[in-house]
Amino acid sequence: MVEFGGWEMPIQYSSVLEEHRACREHAVAFDVSHLGSLHVQGDGALDLLQSAFTNDVGRIAPGQAQYTHLLDPADAHVVDDIIVWWLADDDFIVMPNASNTSRIADALAGDHSCTVEDITMSRAIIAVQGPEARKTLAPVVTSDVERFHVAPTTYGSADGFIAGTGYTGEDGVELHVPREAAAETWRAVVAAGIQPAGLGARDTLRLEAGLPLHGHELGPGITTLQAGLGWVVRWDKGDFRGRDALLAEKERGVDRKLRGLLVAGRQIPREGCRVSIDGKEVGAVTSGNISPMLQQGIALAFLPPGVSDGTQVEIDIRGRTATAKVVKPPFFKRA
Amino acid sequence: MEFPEQLKYTKEHEWVAIDGARARVGITDYAQDALGDIVFVQLPKVGAAVAANATCAEVESTKSVSDIYAPVSGTIAAVNETLNDTPEIVNRDPYGAGWIFDVDLTDAAEVDGLLDASAYRALVESD
Repeated sequence: MVEFGGWEMPIQYSSVLEEHRACREHAVAFDVSHLGSLHVQGDGALDLLQSAFTNDVGRIAPGQAQYTHLLDPADAHVVDDIIVWWLADDDFIVMPNASNTSRIADALAGDHSCTVEDITMSRAIIAVQGPEARKTLAPVVTSDVERFHVAPTTYGSADGFIAGTGYTGEDGVELHVPREAAAETWRAVVAAGIQPAGLGARDTLRLEAGLPLHGHELGPGITTLQAGLGWVVRWDKGDFRGRDALLAEKERGVDRKLRGLLVAGRQIPREGCRVSIDGKEVGAVTSGNISPMLQQGIALAFLPPGVSDGTQVEIDIRGRTATAKVVKPPFFKRA
Repeated sequence: MEFPEQLKYTKEHEWVAIDGARARVGITDYAQDALGDIVFVQLPKVGAAVAANATCAEVESTKSVSDIYAPVSGTIAAVNETLNDTPEIVNRDPYGAGWIFDVDLTDAAEVDGLLDASAYRALVESD
């Protein structure tokens, strides 16, 4: 068990590699109750989210979910990456990362046309992920919700939600379960044949899928554009927090960009390892590990713009040089 | 957890099998269990001189990287190259197929400074 964003969480239940493969081949369940849930409700809820976040909620409809960013108004760094569930007309759940929940609540506060309530402690979130997640979940909950959709459902006699979202690069769902039904639902998920997975596999899965992690690929000093997530920004939707600063960066051009690095062998780049091209240092690793599916080292790193895919780089791993090439994530794609 | 009687041990959680002037070195069952899935082993070079208590190899899990210290001084006589492709053997068979390297001893007296199985077990149980 480790402390993570104020929560006690298991690194692994059995083995990181075994849990990772189970997610790619079958299905696993993560207890991700540490994610925040902010209930935003009222006449002004849609306008509030539109003016706060980079993505355009107007491009989805009630019953759908969207990935978005909240930027710092001064320098446009990514304060947090967030999933928005649009439940009904003026009724949303905003899901920040564990340690950012109060920061996002503060950013959304002060609008009198809607309420922002932190409901994190009133529910559990169970992420069931993998190619067989929906099929295996059938005895527990109806799971025909489409990808990036959200629907009301029940857990026993308790009302909750189910969403077609996740953080592994696999198909799957996330269950929003009222606190009183949480333990029973978790046991039912496990009894249905879905093995629990911990933070270790969650990290290797998201890295292999090329997904950013706040505090590594997003955070202070890092903008949406540097992270290569320009699609999360909808310039044509009107003003939003941090737009001016981000637009200024877009016009002058980013000075670095997040790229994938695939190591020729099993050496494992770690956060902070220096990256060079032809002997000249050009950047540093933000996350690195083994790819359990490829059995090769993989990393995300900030490099200067304009480095083409396939470029060979050297990574300094504690004084030893590993050869890698620049690739476009995800590192692993199902055949 | 198993700590074979015939082996010697270090505080750094390595085991040492003495065979005349040669020592075989690996990590203990306790160490492999604490590290979790081992996914890479940086082996020393055959012929390299190593000094007791100096780092000479690395073992990496999905979670972290750990130094391996030479338990005794000498020259690396052999390395377990099967670990290059299948490092998980260290988890499965830490005292057998998961050995890491062999050292030709320069000072046999250093062996006397190593822990025996009961002393090592006491160390682990006090952790």
